Amino acid sequence: MFNFIWLIPLLPLVGFALNVFVIRREREAGYVATGAVALSFLVALATFIQFAFSPPAEAKPPRVDLVLWNWISVGEFNVPFGLLFDPLSGVMVLLVTGVGALIHLYSIGYMHGDSRVVRYFAYLNLFVAMMLFLVMSDNMLLLFLGWEGVGLCSFLLIGHWFERRTATSAAAKAFVVNRIGDAAFLVAMMAIFAHFGTLSFYDIELADGAVIEGFLERADEISGLIFSIPGQNFLVSTGIAFLLLIGVTGKSAQLPLFVWLPDAMAGPTPVSALIHAATMVTAGVYLMARTHPIFELSAATQGWVTWIGALTALIAATAAVAQWDIKRVLAYSTVSQLGFMVAAAGMGAYVAAIFHLLTHGVFKALLFLGSGSVIHGTHDTQDMRKMGGLREHMPTTFITYLVGAGALAGIFPLAGFWSKDEIIAHAWSGQNFSIFLLLFVSSLLTAFYMGRQIALTFFGQQRDHSYHAHESGQVMTMPLMILAVGAVLAGAMNLPMLHWLSTWLEPTLHEHAAEFGVTQLILAVVTTLLAAGSGYLGWRYYVANSAKIKPGAKDPLYRYSGDIWEALEEAWYIDRAYEKLTVVPGFRALARFMAGVFDPQGIDGLVRGVGYAFSQAASALRVFQSGFVRTYALLFLAGVVMVVGYLLII
Amino acid sequence: MVPTSYYVLLSAALFTIGAMGMLVRRNAIVLFMSVELMLNAANLALVAFARQQVNPDGQVLVFFVITVAAAEVAVGLALLVAIFRSKRTTDVDEVSTLRG
Repeated sequence: MFNFIWLIPLLPLVGFALNVFVIRREREAGYVATGAVALSFLVALATFIQFAFSPPAEAKPPRVDLVLWNWISVGEFNVPFGLLFDPLSGVMVLLVTGVGALIHLYSIGYMHGDSRVVRYFAYLNLFVAMMLFLVMSDNMLLLFLGWEGVGLCSFLLIGHWFERRTATSAAAKAFVVNRIGDAAFLVAMMAIFAHFGTLSFYDIELADGAVIEGFLERADEISGLIFSIPGQNFLVSTGIAFLLLIGVTGKSAQLPLFVWLPDAMAGPTPVSALIHAATMVTAGVYLMARTHPIFELSAATQGWVTWIGALTALIAATAAVAQWDIKRVLAYSTVSQLGFMVAAAGMGAYVAAIFHLLTHGVFKALLFLGSGSVIHGTHDTQDMRKMGGLREHMPTTFITYLVGAGALAGIFPLAGFWSKDEIIAHAWSGQNFSIFLLLFVSSLLTAFYMGRQIALTFFGQQRDHSYHAHESGQVMTMPLMILAVGAVLAGAMNLPMLHWLSTWLEPTLHEHAAEFGVTQLILAVVTTLLAAGSGYLGWRYYVANSAKIKPGAKDPLYRYSGDIWEALEEAWYIDRAYEKLTVVPGFRALARFMAGVFDPQGIDGLVRGVGYAFSQAASALRVFQSGFVRTYALLFLAGVVMVVGYLLII
Repeated sequence: MVPTSYYVLLSAALFTIGAMGMLVRRNAIVLFMSVELMLNAANLALVAFARQQVNPDGQVLVFFVITVAAAEVAVGLALLVAIFRSKRTTDVDEVSTLRG
């Protein structure tokens, strides 16, 4: 199978091409797109199984590196178009294609009747292909191609309903905010090339016997190397890692660049599930795990990573508590969980980060698809104040949603319990008490807002009777059930004592499984009990107060917290701070200058000036075109005399 | 033998007469005649130099010029007839519709 790993990204790409050029009908588009990703999943699974039972022994760390062709070759700069399949890529590929295929299937039902379904499936396939390039790339540049590609697909899919103003501005916002991170990533890439002379992760042997060296295995070369800007000295490794971190904060929606993710919910719900919860936003965490030797050289950056992750986790969790939009709760929850992963990566617990990435991919996709089912069944209602009592109308959605919420809240024995507990245990054993506290409070808040959401959506009485709620069709409930099973079982990947995932990732991430002792056991029990209590509290409070909740009304907790609640609703005004600090003085002024001065005088002036010059020249020259043949003859003669005279003189 | 300079002087005189006729006359037929005069002045100069240099190239060239001149006259006269039919005049100054 190892020689066929190119099929994994190619199949969705073929699906994209078919949907763009051949297919015109909705039904076929859905089947082709889903089939392409499902086939890709099967190939990935076969490769994965072969890798597990007979890993390629010759390479160290074990990996399959398939160079398809020489991509760019300019002097010293050699970048092959190479695909990598190693333990880390393997689990990522399985997540992307597996969850991706289910979401494609679900989309057939969810997008039924939409006016642009073929285009939707084309973009969805392109996204999967780009994400696969991202996780299977064997060098930074191809990774960057995927990195930008998923950003592009995210932009296109957020703006799928471009008739809505919110969708287009959300798409533009996502693109612009991501661009900041991408610029930093690009600079980091240049710095890596400048210091290592290569962009490949590991050594690659080409067909003609030449070897392209990788930089990860010899990251130590830059340890202790210093560069200076006036007045300050920095480690080179700190510089590179910090630039990569900025890239991560953009793509993985971390403080201070997370603002695009909640707005990205303007896209279709399956897109939110696939791109803005399960896969694309995890690219940053994957990047940190992949390039961890560089991060490990810089203790300063690792501290930043940890703090950014933990603070993001807390801020987003508090914001999620106060949202009314069913999808925005999940969006802030995603930001918060990504904060957990980033904090774990910062503490050096890369396995825990990847573990949480995988389980989160499964149960957050489940939650988003469940919320999509709710939105679908209530005829495009997203405000939870208009819901209520839906458990009787949508039993399947309710049960699966409950499983997903439990997994997210970290209730034993669902998937989120194992992965989140591992991160919290790491913070505890790392003696990092403030980080531990931030993450611990965030995880309690997680349980609370999920309890609140369940109570508001599924319990009580239906508060708005303008729609008739109904359960979604089988094509939508099937993926929900499969994902629910996944959300129950995914924790088994890395059970304490067994540590399958740790062992599996050990060659790539060089991290040994953590000890599991009595302290960890007590911590786990305390965490899950408190989470369950907090979730129950959230549920109980909102069920008891369900009579007070009306469309347009304030939250019952608003009475106790007042202005703080409003701050929570706006995610601590970070969005508004951006508007005040950059959009209004900087961007608006620039736009005004461009629209008021540069465009009418610069661009238009140039265009009009060219036209004016020609018409002036023409009116000067038209004097000669008198219409009298004899004048022409005279001028002709004069011209001839001048030419002859010139020739005589020379 | 007549010296070549005589021929060349005659040629120059003919050419000048043709050019001046071109500039001062308004009748289209006379303009054509002036053009012919200039062409033949050039022909005369070519033949004269060809004889002086004992080189037949100039004489051959004259035949080409005569051929082209014949074609030019055919086209020009056809145009002239067309103009006369629509404008009822051969005065070129009257035909100035393309004035810019």
